[in-house]
Amino acid sequence: MFGKKKMGLILAGVLSLSLLAGCGNGGNAATATGEAKDTKAGAATGTTEISLYTGGSLNVKELWETLIKDFEAKNDHVKVKLVYLPAGTGGASTLDRLIAAKKSGQTDTDIDLYEGSLDDITKGVGEKLWETVDTTKVPNLANVDETYLKQVNNQAIPYRASSVVLAYNSAKVATPPKTADELYTWIRQHPGKFAYNDPSTGGSGSSFVNTVIYNFLPPEAMNSDDPANMKKWDQGFSLLKELGPSMYQKGVYPKKNQGTLDILASGEVDMVPAWSDMALEQLAKGLLPDTVKLTQIDPAFTGGPSYLMVPSLSSKKEATQEFLNYVLTPEAQTVVINKMYGYPGIKWSLMPSELQEKFNSVSSGYRSFNSGELQQEIYKRWQSEVAGG
Amino acid sequence: MSSSSKRGMLGLALVIPSFLILLVVVIIPILYAVKESLIDQHGTGYGLANYIRLFTEPAMRKNMIYTINVTLVSTALTLVISYALAIYLRFGKGFVVKWIGRLYFVPMFVPGVIATYAIITMYGNHGWAARLLLPLGIETIPRIIYDYKGLVLANLWFNIPFATMLLSSALASIPNAVVESARDAGASTLQLFGRFILPLSYKTMWVAVTFIFMGIMGSFTAPFLIGANSPQVLGVAMQQVFSSYQETHTASAMAVFMFLLCSFMGYFYIRTMVKDAEAS
Repeated sequence: MFGKKKMGLILAGVLSLSLLAGCGNGGNAATATGEAKDTKAGAATGTTEISLYTGGSLNVKELWETLIKDFEAKNDHVKVKLVYLPAGTGGASTLDRLIAAKKSGQTDTDIDLYEGSLDDITKGVGEKLWETVDTTKVPNLANVDETYLKQVNNQAIPYRASSVVLAYNSAKVATPPKTADELYTWIRQHPGKFAYNDPSTGGSGSSFVNTVIYNFLPPEAMNSDDPANMKKWDQGFSLLKELGPSMYQKGVYPKKNQGTLDILASGEVDMVPAWSDMALEQLAKGLLPDTVKLTQIDPAFTGGPSYLMVPSLSSKKEATQEFLNYVLTPEAQTVVINKMYGYPGIKWSLMPSELQEKFNSVSSGYRSFNSGELQQEIYKRWQSEVAGG
Repeated sequence: MSSSSKRGMLGLALVIPSFLILLVVVIIPILYAVKESLIDQHGTGYGLANYIRLFTEPAMRKNMIYTINVTLVSTALTLVISYALAIYLRFGKGFVVKWIGRLYFVPMFVPGVIATYAIITMYGNHGWAARLLLPLGIETIPRIIYDYKGLVLANLWFNIPFATMLLSSALASIPNAVVESARDAGASTLQLFGRFILPLSYKTMWVAVTFIFMGIMGSFTAPFLIGANSPQVLGVAMQQVFSSYQETHTASAMAVFMFLLCSFMGYFYIRTMVKDAEAS
């Protein structure tokens, strides 16, 4: 009895296995032909699909959706697939994936274009992760300011930028400070009317702190991670400490970039450092009263571009270059400005004149700041000496 | 196999899934955090450097004392207020009691971030409270936001409804007969509370205290948004150490310290429960 049952089971097993195998074969064959058809169709119309990996806030996603739609309307042979990973969820893992692919000797990856920061470029340089871009491949690169390209050794394209500016309530402040020293004098003369956010919680506050410290150092120190510079911070920190009691509520530093904009909007303070794109967007949406104006001081606050990188493992570089070329046209850059309230990645002089006029107050530029791990040391020292002092 | 050992096996099999979950989501992470916290921040060697830093660095020590202070004060205030409220709801009568009974748990349905922003717009320097007091000639209100007071206020807002709900359910099970007969025998209100109500709801009170304490100890959103820049509560300081300074090992040491504080509380809780079980 038992033996027969067992036999039956085995038979059934063998049968189902062969059935499965048969199905598998059939399935494979079907997909294979399907793929062949697809490729043929692709070859006939010449359509290549590239994928763009991007992160950041929702407005970044919206920007790319608009740009891709415009691009595809003009180009029938390149399709762009947008892979959006919201801030803080998967941006880093995309880079990790690329590095892993490179290290394991893969020759192809599905990431054809990657949007990232200066940090991401540096992380990839050691692994030779990024393709060098130049005008022979992307003619419109000629539109980009050469100094910004040199900073990254032509390994990435700075396609948009923003910087920290001074946002002030023009109803209360008739003549805003023009230089850093004038700003510090203004803060002392108007106690409680200036605020910057806790530097470790947002870029506008950290830009204020960084510029206070590095204005006492030679300009080249701003882009150096030499720990020897730490010894030269004392003057800047003592200025920050001295300004403390003149700050909002005798030394309250709100959290995040939005924290200071909120108290500027409610009229509690008259002047704050703010990201240009953030402030302009909120002005346009009426979240900030229209008495708020923006200005840049001299020496300028820090700022920086967002970059597009082409992974060297991508197999669709030509199509990608075509898309990049489009991103660097004045018309695409106009979308960048209108959607993101950012600075264009290309020279201001190439932009429509009405936009040049509109952004006149903030377009005087910014300084880049990249001191690597020293930034964390600044945060730490700020926390113990300025916040806790 | 005997039927008793079979039943034993079944019992074990039923316990294993929950034990595995406990192992994966609680025990292993704690052990991992302990291990991480012992690794030196700069080298790979093991040692107590992170803990030494925790207790010797003045800023860090201030943070710890501040956290314990905020937690104890908030817990005590929450307990007193919710006990009073629960008793009022249990023994009070009338229209007001009915409406308080319907509305007191509303804050539990308001997400933390939104409640925190509500506190900012209400008690901020130019907030609603300041504007409402302006016609009365009061021009400056004390600083509540970005201060100790604001933090305690937020903790009360978050915890009173929950504690009141727990205590109300305990008080509901006290028979009216007990209260009435005690009253007849001439017990004062204070005696009534100390001799009857408190002992009968003592166990639930410990549950409430434990949960309030742990919740406040580990809170982040409100202290991050309306707390002072310095000192900070441990939750905020830990986030800063972890993501702004990227000192993961020091952050682990802080987590272990926080865990020890909470397990101290847990010890009292379990002791009360065990005593209670023995008594019955």
